[in-house]
Amino acid sequence: MFQFPSILLSLITLPLLAILVILVIPETRSELVKGVSLWTSIIVFLISLFLWLSFDLSTPKYQFVEPFFSVPYSNINVFIGVDGISLFFVILTTFLIPLCLLASWDSIKFSIKEYNIAFLLMGSLLICVFTVLDVLFFYIFFEAILIPMFLVIGIWGSRERKIRASLQFFVYTLVGSVLMLLAILTIYAQTGTTDIQVLQTLSFSQELQIVFWLAFFASFAVKVPMLPVHLWLPEAHSEAPTAGSVILAGILLKMGGYGFLRFSIPIFPDASIYFTPLVYTLSAIAVIYTSLTTLRQVDMKRLIAYSSVAHMGFVTIGMFTMNIQGIEGSIFLMLSHGIVSSALFLCVGVVYDRHKTRIINYYSGLTVAMPVYSLIFLFFILANMGLPGTSSFVSEFMVLAGAFKSNIFITVLIATGGVWGAAYSLWLYNRTAFGNIRLTYITNFQDIDRREFFVFLPCVILVLVMGIYPEVFLNVMHASVQNLVEQVQ
Amino acid sequence: MNFFNFFENDFLVVFPELFIATVIIFLLSYGVIFSTSEYYKSPALAVNVSWLSFFTLGIALLLCINNSSSSMIIFNNMLIINPFTTLIKAFILLSSMACILISMNYLDYQRINTFEYSLLILLSVLGMLCLVSTYDLLSLYLAVELMSLSFYILAAYKRNSEFSGEAGLKYFILGAFSSGLLLFGSSILYGFTGMTNFEDIAKLLLGLGTISDPLSYNGIVIGILFVSIALLFKVAAAPFHMWSPDVYEGSPTPVTAFFSSVPKVALLALYLRLFFYTFYDFIAVWQDLLLLCAMISMVWGSIAALSQTRIKRLMAYSGIVNVGYMLIGIASGTITSVVGLLVYLFIYVVMTIGFFSFILGTQNYKTKGLNVYLLDLTNLGKTNIVLGLAVSLILFSMIGLPPLAGFFGKMYLFFAAMNSNLYTVAILGVMSSVVAAFYYIRLIKLMFFEMSSKRFTLYKQMDQVNAYVLSISLFLLLIFFVSSDALLLSCHRIGLFLFL
Repeated sequence: MFQFPSILLSLITLPLLAILVILVIPETRSELVKGVSLWTSIIVFLISLFLWLSFDLSTPKYQFVEPFFSVPYSNINVFIGVDGISLFFVILTTFLIPLCLLASWDSIKFSIKEYNIAFLLMGSLLICVFTVLDVLFFYIFFEAILIPMFLVIGIWGSRERKIRASLQFFVYTLVGSVLMLLAILTIYAQTGTTDIQVLQTLSFSQELQIVFWLAFFASFAVKVPMLPVHLWLPEAHSEAPTAGSVILAGILLKMGGYGFLRFSIPIFPDASIYFTPLVYTLSAIAVIYTSLTTLRQVDMKRLIAYSSVAHMGFVTIGMFTMNIQGIEGSIFLMLSHGIVSSALFLCVGVVYDRHKTRIINYYSGLTVAMPVYSLIFLFFILANMGLPGTSSFVSEFMVLAGAFKSNIFITVLIATGGVWGAAYSLWLYNRTAFGNIRLTYITNFQDIDRREFFVFLPCVILVLVMGIYPEVFLNVMHASVQNLVEQVQ
Repeated sequence: MNFFNFFENDFLVVFPELFIATVIIFLLSYGVIFSTSEYYKSPALAVNVSWLSFFTLGIALLLCINNSSSSMIIFNNMLIINPFTTLIKAFILLSSMACILISMNYLDYQRINTFEYSLLILLSVLGMLCLVSTYDLLSLYLAVELMSLSFYILAAYKRNSEFSGEAGLKYFILGAFSSGLLLFGSSILYGFTGMTNFEDIAKLLLGLGTISDPLSYNGIVIGILFVSIALLFKVAAAPFHMWSPDVYEGSPTPVTAFFSSVPKVALLALYLRLFFYTFYDFIAVWQDLLLLCAMISMVWGSIAALSQTRIKRLMAYSGIVNVGYMLIGIASGTITSVVGLLVYLFIYVVMTIGFFSFILGTQNYKTKGLNVYLLDLTNLGKTNIVLGLAVSLILFSMIGLPPLAGFFGKMYLFFAAMNSNLYTVAILGVMSSVVAAFYYIRLIKLMFFEMSSKRFTLYKQMDQVNAYVLSISLFLLLIFFVSSDALLLSCHRIGLFLFL
C-alpha cells in the first residue's frame, strides 16, 4: 500500500483552509458556504479512509507519525499519529461531520456562515484530539472544543432552556478538566516531558498514580459521562440543534472513553486496577438507573440522551475489564453508539424540523403517514437495543464476554441493561410510530426527502456491516489492544 | 567637578525619561498658550495633545529600545538600567500608547476638552519608568509618589461628575495611607540596617537568617512586611483591594482602562526586583504573605464579581483575581515563575486593552454614553456578530480556554506553582478560575443567547482607532498558540537578567 506523506496533517488543515475560504464569502451566498463546507468535509472523509487502507495491522506502534508542533524552552515536541485504538475515532469524526452539515442543511436559518465554521473547526479540533501524541496538547484540544460547542448549543439551540444547558455543559466540563490540567503540569514538572510515548514507558509510584488517575478521572468521567456527573448530558443533548446533538453523542462523549484508553489505563496501570471496583460500581448504577430514567422521559431527545449514558456505562465497564474482548468490545461499542445514537438524533431531527416539537405525546401513528421514516427509525431503535445483526449486539456481547472473565456479578447486573434497553426503545417507537394519527395536534405529514434519505443510508449500511462482519473493524484494533493489555499486566 | 560632567553617562542612559519630562514641559506651555488664546478662538486641545503625547511615547519607545548602554547603575546607585528594565519599559510605553489611542474617541464625544489628560498620563508613565528601574528605597518612594499623584488627579478628572470626584478622593486617601506604610517600612529598614540601597540590603540579608540577633532580624521582617503590604495596596490585591472597585467605577472609562493595565506591569516589575533580588533571602517571610494575598484575591475576587451588574466594577474584580494569579508567580520564587509571570502580564494587558477598546469604542445610540451595565451588551451577537465574536473571544481568553493566549498565561503560572510544590494555591487557583468563568460566560450569554430580540442596544459605528486596537489585541491572543517563541524567548532572557 502506498503512504501519503502527511495524510493526518491534511485532515487537520483542510477544514481550516475551508474556514478561511468561507470567511471571505459574503453572507448572502449561503448555498455556496454550505457547499464549500460540505464538500471539504466529504473530501476529508475520503482522505481519512486512506489511513485505514494503508494501515499496518501487524504493529501496535503509532503510524503516520509526523511532527506537529514544538514549544521553545520546554522539551515539548508534539507528534501526531494513529494506532489501532484511535484510527476509528478519527474516521468516525470525519464520517459524522458531513452528515451533520447535511442534516442541518435547511433547518439552520440564520448565521449560516458561523454555523458552518463552527462545525468545520470542531471537526479539525476533534481530529487533533484523537491523533495528538502529547498529554498537554490533548488537553488543549480537548478544552478548545468547548468554545465552538458552547456557542453552537447557545446560539442555534431551540428553546429558552438552551442557556441553562450550555452553561451546564461548559461548567461541568471546565471543573473536571482543570484538575486534569494540574495533574498534567505536575507530570511535566516531575518527568520533564508530556509525550505519551515516553510516559507509557515510565512508571510512577502508586500514591502518585492514584492522585493522577483521580485527576484525569474527574475530567474523563464528566465527558463520558459517569453517573454522578452525567446531569449536563441530557440537558445539552436535548437543547442543542440536531447536528450539535449528533456531534455530542457521536464523538464528544468518545473523547472521555478515548482518554481512559489512551492515558489512564496505560500510564497509570496500577491505579486503574485499584479503581476498577469504583468504575464498575458507577457504571453498573449508570446502566440500570439511567435505563429506568429513560422510561419516564417525555422528550424524545432526552430519552436518547439517557440511553447514551446507559451505553457509555457498558463502555467504561468494558475498558476496565483489562482483557482483549472487553476493551475491543468497548471501542467497538463506542463506534457503534457513535453511529446509532447519532442516527437516532437525526431521526428526531427529521420530525422536529417538520413539527417543531420533541414531546413524545404529540406523535402517534407515524407509520401511516411516514412509512420510509418509520422503517429507518425502527431499524435504529432495534440497533439501539442491541438486536443481533446490528453493530450494538456484537459490541455489547463482547463487553459482556470480557466482563464475565473479570466479574460475574457485575456482568449479570449489566446484562439486564439489554432488557431495559428493549423496554425504553420499543416503548418510544410504540408510542410514536404506532396507533392512530393524532390529527388534533398535527395535520401535515411529509415523508423524508432525498437529502435526509442519503443522510441515513450510510448509517444503515455501516450498522449492518459492523453487525454482520465486525472482523473488518476488529482486526485493526487487535495489535494495539493486545499491547495495551500487556502493559497493564 | 562640574555636576553635569559627573553624571554625563548617566544622563545618556535615562534618555527616554528625560525626553518625556522635557516634552511634558513643552506640551504644558503649548497647551496653556494656545487653549487660552483668543486669536485662535480658544481651541479644544485634548485630542491634539493626545496625539502629540502618543508620538512622544513612540519616540521614547525608540529611545528606550536603542539604549546606549545595556547594563548600568546610575545616579549614585539610585537607578538601575539593564535588559530587564529596558524591556519592561518598552512594554509600559507600548501599552500606554494603546491606552491613549483608545481614549481619544471618548475625550472627543464626552467633550472633555482640557488637554491635561494625556499630560497626566505622560507624567504617570514617567513615574512608572522610574519605578521599574529603582535601585534604592528612596527613589522607590519618589517614583511611586510621582506615579500615584498623577493617578489621583486622573481618577478625579471628570470634574462635573460626582462619581469621579469620589473616586479621586477615595484613591487619594487610601493611596496616601499606603504610601505612608511604604515610607514607614522603608524607615524601619533603614533604622535596622542603616542602608537604603537594594544591593546593599540584599548583601546584608544574604547571611542574616543564620545570625542570632533577634532584634534586628525581627525589625527587618517588620520592615519587609510593611513595604510589601504598601505595594499590595497599590496593585489592589485582596484584602487590600477595597479602593479598587469604587475607583474603577468612578473614574472616567479611559482612565479605568489605563489603571487596570499599565500600572500592574510597573508594579509587578518592581515586585520582581524587590522580592527576587533585595529580599530574596527572606523568602520564608514574604512568600506566606503573598500566597495568602493571592488566595484571598482569587477567591474573593471571583466570588464578588458574580453579583456585579456594572461592567467597570466587573473588570475591577476581574483585575483583583488576575493580580491573585500574578502573585502566585511571585510567590513561587523561581525562574520558571518569572517567565510565567511576565507572559501572563503581557497577555493580561493585551486582553484588558482589547476589552476596553471595545467598551470605549462603542457608543450607545440613545444615551450618547458608553455601555455602563452588563445588560447593555444584550444581543450584541445579533446586531453585530463580528464585534460580538471578537469580544467573546477576548472573554474566552480571560476565562483561560485553550487555544487562546489566556490559557497559556495561566498554564505557565500554575506550572511554576507546581514546580515549587505550591499545590494548595494551584488547586485554589484553577477552582477560582472556574468560578470566574461564570461571570465572563454571563457576558457571552447576554450577547448571543438572548431569545427575545426586543431588548438590544443600538450602537454608533465603532471608532476606527479603537477597532484597530481591538483587532490587533485579538490577533495577538489568537496567534500566541501558533508562535509564542518570540515572547517566551524574551521573557526568559529578561527573567535571567533579573537574577544577574
